[in-house]
Amino acid sequence: MTAQILVVDDEPRYVRLMEANLLTEDYDVLRAYDGQKAVETVAENHPDLVLLDVMMPILDGITACERIREFSNVPIIMVTAKGEERDRVRGLDVGADDYVVKPFSATELLARVRAVLRRAESNGSASFQQPVFNHGNLKIDFTKAEVFKDEKMVYLSATEYRLLLQFAQNLGDILSSEDLLMNVWGEEYRNDKEILWVSISRLRHKLEDDPRNPQHIVTRSGLGYTMPKI
Amino acid sequence: MTENTIPSDLLNLQLIETLDEIGEIILRAKEIDSCIDQIMKSVRNIFIFDNVVLYLCQKDDHLEPKYARAIGRGRSSETDLAWGETIANDSLQKNEIIIRKEIDGDYTVNRMRLRYFIGLPLATDDEKYGSLVFVRYGGPPYLSDQTQLCEYIARNISLLLDRINLNQTVDSLKHELQLKLMQDDFVATISHELRTPLGFIKGYATTLLREDTSWDDDTRREFLNIIDEETDRLRELIDNLLDSSRLQSGTLRMEFQHMRLEEILKDVCIRAQTFHKNQEIDLEIEKPGITVQVDPARIEQVIENLLSNARKYAPDSKVKITLSQENYHAHIRVRDFGPGIAPDHLDHIFERFYRIPDQTKSTRGTGLGLFICKRIIQAHNGEIFAESIPGEGSIFHIKLSLDLSRNSDKRRTLVLMEEKL
Repeated sequence: MTAQILVVDDEPRYVRLMEANLLTEDYDVLRAYDGQKAVETVAENHPDLVLLDVMMPILDGITACERIREFSNVPIIMVTAKGEERDRVRGLDVGADDYVVKPFSATELLARVRAVLRRAESNGSASFQQPVFNHGNLKIDFTKAEVFKDEKMVYLSATEYRLLLQFAQNLGDILSSEDLLMNVWGEEYRNDKEILWVSISRLRHKLEDDPRNPQHIVTRSGLGYTMPKI
Repeated sequence: MTENTIPSDLLNLQLIETLDEIGEIILRAKEIDSCIDQIMKSVRNIFIFDNVVLYLCQKDDHLEPKYARAIGRGRSSETDLAWGETIANDSLQKNEIIIRKEIDGDYTVNRMRLRYFIGLPLATDDEKYGSLVFVRYGGPPYLSDQTQLCEYIARNISLLLDRINLNQTVDSLKHELQLKLMQDDFVATISHELRTPLGFIKGYATTLLREDTSWDDDTRREFLNIIDEETDRLRELIDNLLDSSRLQSGTLRMEFQHMRLEEILKDVCIRAQTFHKNQEIDLEIEKPGITVQVDPARIEQVIENLLSNARKYAPDSKVKITLSQENYHAHIRVRDFGPGIAPDHLDHIFERFYRIPDQTKSTRGTGLGLFICKRIIQAHNGEIFAESIPGEGSIFHIKLSLDLSRNSDKRRTLVLMEEKL
């Protein structure tokens, strides 16, 4: 089966360059010119590979990669400019599989694409969760990082959103305070339970009909918290 | 309430009011002199003194008087007065309050010869700022609650000095940071701007060089055109960088000669329309034959830059160039009918590295073009400025002095003098 590759760059000439070369290898090519469009295209078309530029308007490549990872494990190759080592590391940290450094030669690009596709194939095909998550009257749109309660958008801070994702991505699992603190705030906060309490309380006030009798984020005494399967 | 307690209560009330006032003064103070003036005025209701001096440490650790007032007895004695410099030094060195009595001759004849000093260090845990000295002639000696009051004043002044010091440090750090950010930003922009065309050249060249595939003629031509255009862009960028740095260091040479401005403008327009067929340019010469003494290549560069900006920022708009004469000036107007420039940015667009934030991501550029234009026009003793109505377009005005000495036909060479930004 022909692999479908999404090429993302705000410079049309880069998109054209990558597209022209990929077509010679009989790949199908999808195009996007900003990060937001890239996330949406991944959600809609389930490509087999994404070539993702870092410096882009609207949504940069790093954030786009992060968003895609919230619902998909599609292989991602970051395309970065030389000298942006920090971006390469950050890209790999947020879940990119490989990177190509600009300026790159056509053959190098194609070799990387082949290698990543081969690796992905041996790991089984890319999986895509629904880009929209529903839990009762709660809805999360991973592609736009937006949360709705009874179809009305709820404003969450970045930390609150990351905390909510922990529950949505581990539906039914009990998550300990330490794990939540480490995953959302970082290693140095692992014992800072009060900060978690404040944030859980804030989330409940925003998302629950009755914050004292929560349905979405439930306390499991002595163990942690969970978002129960409905 | 007995009669005995009333005066003491009154005194306490007055003391509290004074302390409160001092706190308030310190809180609002922006600089030291007027602040101490206010404190002294406030404190004199409950504390008698004749002279007060504030000494501040200099870089070499010596004390210099920063503030001095003779308020009480002996105001007319001026410099003969005692200013307590020794006690100021002692108090700062030992970092403690020093009370000293000094007799200088027969004080029964002149009570100013009997002096009571109180020296207070102005210091915080980390920093020594100086000393505060109060002088009282002829007594009475300072009482312990008065000493405490002085200590309170000195501590508050130390806090104020600390704050002023911190503010100065913050200001200078902010300034340094801003310079550094501007530089970093410039380096990042330049490296991005240099790498982008390089990336295309490398990418499309290696695409054409691929041995495992062949390209049809149209595609090959398309790729070669891209390589060609990107090479031009790279060259233009490097030229701009060199010009900008030469203009900055004052080493850009200009070759001035008598020229008819309309000839220069016509040349630029013909060239622009050859290379950019989509750009519609309307050239209107209101007064033919205007002669100026200019470096024609540089003036062409300025007009070309304005046309290139119009292509970038007002891509679908036609450009109207008008040449007219006003008194002793030639006046060139380059007008586009694009989205215009917001007033906030209009004042800054000629600054080196300045780019309008919204456009930084969407349009390529380095923030050098208009800076170069301005410097070139300045080197001609001319003037360049812009006006714009958002939504209606922008007009760039260039005014150049008319050449009134037509008989001198000599070329002259001018090296721009270094000018600070």
